[in-house]
Amino acid sequence: MLKMTHLAKVYRTEVVETYALRDFNIDVKEGEFVAVTGPSGSGKTTFLTIAGLLETFTGGHYHLDGVEVSQLDDNARSRIRNEKIGFIFQAFNLIPDLNVFDNVEVPLRYRGMKAAERKQRIMDALERVGLASRAKHYPAELSGGQQQRVAIARALAGSPRLLLADEPTGNLDTQMARGVMELLEEIHREGATIVMVTHDPELAARAQRNVHVIDGQVVDLAEEPRFHAHAHLANS
Amino acid sequence: MQIKPILAALRRHKAGTILIALQIALTLAIVCNALFIVHERVDRVNRPTGMDESNVIAVQNRYVGSPPNFVPLVKTDVQALRSIPGVESAYATNSYPLRQGGWSTGIQTKPDGTKDGVPTALYFGDEQTLKTLGVRLIAGRNFNAGEVVTVQPQQTPSPPQVIVTKAIVDKLFPNGDGLGKTIYLSKGKPSTIIGVVEKLTVPWTDFDHLDNVTIMPVIFNSGYQHFLVRTRPGEQDAVFKAIPKTLYGVNRMRVLPEKYGVRTYDMVRSRAYEADRGMAILMSVVCGVLLAITAAGIVGLSSFWVGQRRKQIGVRRALGARRSDILSYFMTENFLIALAGVVLGVVLAVGLSQWMFTHFEMKRLSFTYVLVGVVVLLGLGQAAVFAPALRASKVSPVEATRSV
Repeated sequence: MLKMTHLAKVYRTEVVETYALRDFNIDVKEGEFVAVTGPSGSGKTTFLTIAGLLETFTGGHYHLDGVEVSQLDDNARSRIRNEKIGFIFQAFNLIPDLNVFDNVEVPLRYRGMKAAERKQRIMDALERVGLASRAKHYPAELSGGQQQRVAIARALAGSPRLLLADEPTGNLDTQMARGVMELLEEIHREGATIVMVTHDPELAARAQRNVHVIDGQVVDLAEEPRFHAHAHLANS
Repeated sequence: MQIKPILAALRRHKAGTILIALQIALTLAIVCNALFIVHERVDRVNRPTGMDESNVIAVQNRYVGSPPNFVPLVKTDVQALRSIPGVESAYATNSYPLRQGGWSTGIQTKPDGTKDGVPTALYFGDEQTLKTLGVRLIAGRNFNAGEVVTVQPQQTPSPPQVIVTKAIVDKLFPNGDGLGKTIYLSKGKPSTIIGVVEKLTVPWTDFDHLDNVTIMPVIFNSGYQHFLVRTRPGEQDAVFKAIPKTLYGVNRMRVLPEKYGVRTYDMVRSRAYEADRGMAILMSVVCGVLLAITAAGIVGLSSFWVGQRRKQIGVRRALGARRSDILSYFMTENFLIALAGVVLGVVLAVGLSQWMFTHFEMKRLSFTYVLVGVVVLLGLGQAAVFAPALRASKVSPVEATRSV
């Protein structure tokens, strides 16, 4: 589903080159739930933005659902983001001027879907996250957990092949975080492929597989238990 | 189209939206009416006099001293002007089109002198008047030299023969049989219409009966005279320079005012419509400034909204919006605001026009101006928002992951 090989991301200024990712390799199979962990500045968010086609990369290869994405133009990348990827952000990223219904509708409009189908998908997605009754509410009228559920509904409404979650519980209290995590697990059980970036070891432990990132490189925790302990201490 | 979510978003930004829509509405109302006034003034400035104005020079002359009879001086001057090389014809008169000063009276068809006649301007002239003015005689004949009579300052001029404009004949004799008819310019003194000219305007630019003119074969015994001179094509400059020299050579006891003594007809026209031209320029400047302020307002608000919504734009891009979708979002948003503004603006424009019609006797605004105004304002809005919208479309989708 998602395969990066020797991927590199370099930020260049006039005087310095900074490697955010270096010889980065990862292979996420269809239906997997992978947690990407690592300390701040390790490159895990850079990985997520490249995986989500929000940013380009400097070298290496990236195949998404069998398509090499490095040669795609901006419109093609937009179409893949719209049709194949669902994003769940730490800060929810709902549009404050739109109500819940209209927020969930945003990606469907960009797909050029007919109004009746849009409405059906939106209501299905909102039912799925338990917020159908809040369709006319604005984000500011919802709790953090509810806002994240709306964001998940927005990600689900387009039936994406891949869900990318960036610290999905980072802005939530424990109880709300648990609710959101249970929802993600449920979505995964139904067959979704999920890649979740987190620095919370408890959340990471609930994923099928953990991938640890340090200094822009992937380290498989199953093979390198020392890094796990190190990372745990660093984040505790 | 994404009109519904745009409207939903605009409802959450009422203040900015209403202010810009109001600005557009006021601009439309003022610009439509101002441009209408400009067009009217330009029309006035270009209004034909019925003359062939090219190659005509107007001379304003005042004799110094109090001789018992000015007529010989006038005749001598006319002869001197006619003898200047390059001059085709010349005559002495009391006034001419666009002079902004002259004589007027009412024409009656009955000898009892009742004042219910047709208003007319009076031009004095002779057998060379029609040629010099370049007007078209459409019926009858010209004066001959023997028909020219002298009129004293205290007399009301009423020569036996007159030439009138078609506008007068049409009003006095609607059956079209005015030629040869008798009219009365003063009580009990008949004048016969011996000729009809197609068109000739009065000296004043604000006179209600613009085309009502009577030409008389009269030489006026006055120290204050005007001469009109027609030159051959290409000779105007030379004659223009020769006129003062010639007239002073004939008789130095005169004043040719420095500014208005000798003028081409372009100068006469320019002076006559100075105020109209000034008003047209002022209104054009007002329109330009208003449009510029409105455009600046749109650019300012759009730029502010783009800056404010940077993260939101990134989120939209992350969710699949193409650059063109973002561009179209901001263009459509502006179009909807501008549309609301122009709808209100049309109402205001028509209301303002009605108010000016009632209070200042101005013409009613033509709807063409409103339509043009609507198109201009909508176009201006789209042009003004294009740069900020383009900037918005270049926001990277990675903005969605950045913390505010």
